[in-house]
Amino acid sequence: MSAFGVMRKDILDVRRAKIVWFVGLLFTLVTVLFFYQINVSGGFRGLPEVLLALWNLVFIGALFIPAIALVAAYLSIAGERESGSIKFLLSTPINRRELVLGKFLSRTSVVSASLLVAFVIAAGLSVVWFDELRLGTFVAVAALTTLYALAYVAVAIAISASTSSRSRAMGGALGFYFVTNLLVIFGDLSIRGLLDYVLNDLLNAGVGQDPLTFITMVISPTQSYLSSVLLAFPDNFLTVQRLNPEEMAWYVRGEMGLALLAAWLVIPLLIGIWRFDRANIG
Amino acid sequence: MSVIETTNLTKTFGDVTAVEGLDLAVEDGEIYGFLGPNGAGKSTTINMLLDLIRPSSGSARVLGHDPTREAKQIRQRIGVLPEGAELYDRLTGREHLNWMAKSKGADPDVEATLERVGLSPADGDRPISGYSKGMQQRLAFGMALTGDPDLLILDEPSSGLDPTGMQEMREIIREEAASSRTVFFSSHILGEVEAVCDRVGIMNEGELVAEGTLDELRGELDLGASIRVEVADPAAAEHARAIDGVQAVTVEDNTVDATLADAAAKVRVVTALDEQTTVEDILSEDTSLEQLFNTYTSDSSADSATAAESESQSTEQQPAEVVQ
Repeated sequence: MSAFGVMRKDILDVRRAKIVWFVGLLFTLVTVLFFYQINVSGGFRGLPEVLLALWNLVFIGALFIPAIALVAAYLSIAGERESGSIKFLLSTPINRRELVLGKFLSRTSVVSASLLVAFVIAAGLSVVWFDELRLGTFVAVAALTTLYALAYVAVAIAISASTSSRSRAMGGALGFYFVTNLLVIFGDLSIRGLLDYVLNDLLNAGVGQDPLTFITMVISPTQSYLSSVLLAFPDNFLTVQRLNPEEMAWYVRGEMGLALLAAWLVIPLLIGIWRFDRANIG
Repeated sequence: MSVIETTNLTKTFGDVTAVEGLDLAVEDGEIYGFLGPNGAGKSTTINMLLDLIRPSSGSARVLGHDPTREAKQIRQRIGVLPEGAELYDRLTGREHLNWMAKSKGADPDVEATLERVGLSPADGDRPISGYSKGMQQRLAFGMALTGDPDLLILDEPSSGLDPTGMQEMREIIREEAASSRTVFFSSHILGEVEAVCDRVGIMNEGELVAEGTLDELRGELDLGASIRVEVADPAAAEHARAIDGVQAVTVEDNTVDATLADAAAKVRVVTALDEQTTVEDILSEDTSLEQLFNTYTSDSSADSATAAESESQSTEQQPAEVVQ
């Protein structure tokens, strides 16, 4: 399929872009630092160090990974439209759908490769510092984190496919990052906090915490990811963190997080394809 | 079968009509010059043929395919030199050519292509960021030739080039045009298409205002040809009036001006005058093509006249508005 042709050519191009490598390496560095911190400070309430390190990694990843994914992909199509090089790309035997898919596959490969490097190094450090690996949890966290990254790549591709200039693509990517990530992660200043205040404090609607969590999952891949990682950790570990899945409503458990994360990958990509199919490339 | 065919092709952007009711037919094997001042709708038309822009109404067919539904089949068989498009800075010339060949499933004869467009093997190894505008344009032309396409679409091929570059680009196009493929190329400079084109179409304000061979266009405008002969005895001019193909004769002092229906009558006029009296000097000029071009387009755009003039005088100065 021609999308793979677009992918190969795009990887050839983008692997020479320093910025992508820079943010990728930054994540690896942060991973190493967090593992080191656990190594120095030791365990907590008898929980295995490797699980604690991965748990911390999830939260730092929740903040970092969208930035990596957006930076790696937001210019992929809009940048080419601004420079006009997309006219060369569209003079090869491909259709527009294959162009969008090819760009997604390419940026996906680059981002996945940089995450893979970070997780392989983290696995090595676990063996050296913690004397154990917990392979199941390790692989599950790595897989969910990669899916999380790909959801943001899909969003960046959709934004890039819908805009005709670099500045607009950047505006869209920053806006999306701000709303779905920063305004989700920081509890007091979050969308969820606002909903809670309006619905419960002002309107006295008595909406429970689980529905609020669910709304946040729907509007944010970050919240979907944070919910999905419950699947990766053993129940006794989660109980100590006061996150017993048994006590949660079914629609905020890990399975729903995973499903919504997958939706966050597929739907933006479809929107990107749909939007680009109707674009005038002048 | 027409290689390019448009029926009532129209494109509007908001309340601006870029192309209006365009009916175009480019036949197999011909070299078609698509002329008009900047902003006449040439690039919009080409972008619709390439499915970069979707028509507001009307339709187009390229190599028998509808661009809006079968762009992929069209792209497989055409070579495109787009206008105002940058190449990939980080990739080398060779990588560009390899990519294009691979995407078309063609034999990547990179060395031959580089040579054909006048780039050295060392140029091919360098990334595009080190290329001049002229080198980029040559490489882009080489990419368009890759895979031996049935149809070449060249959008302002000399845009952004210096005079030498323009001259060289014209030479390359002329060589490629000699083969049997169809070439469709746009320009706002008449001199550029004049030497190579079988037929031209002139666009102005979104509409095709004239189409035909250059000879046909000259005839249509009835500009005819003319000849000026200086003779010893002006009375002999009376004999010139009766000559086949002569439309009018005016005499002033010793100078006889004859307006002719076709250029072939020039010889007959001179011969007739020579029989009657002594011919002292002959001044002959063809209908200026710039004149022709301007007749169709000057009412809307002073730019085009400037472009055509500067081109006619010499190629030393390149029109300022060339880069869009």
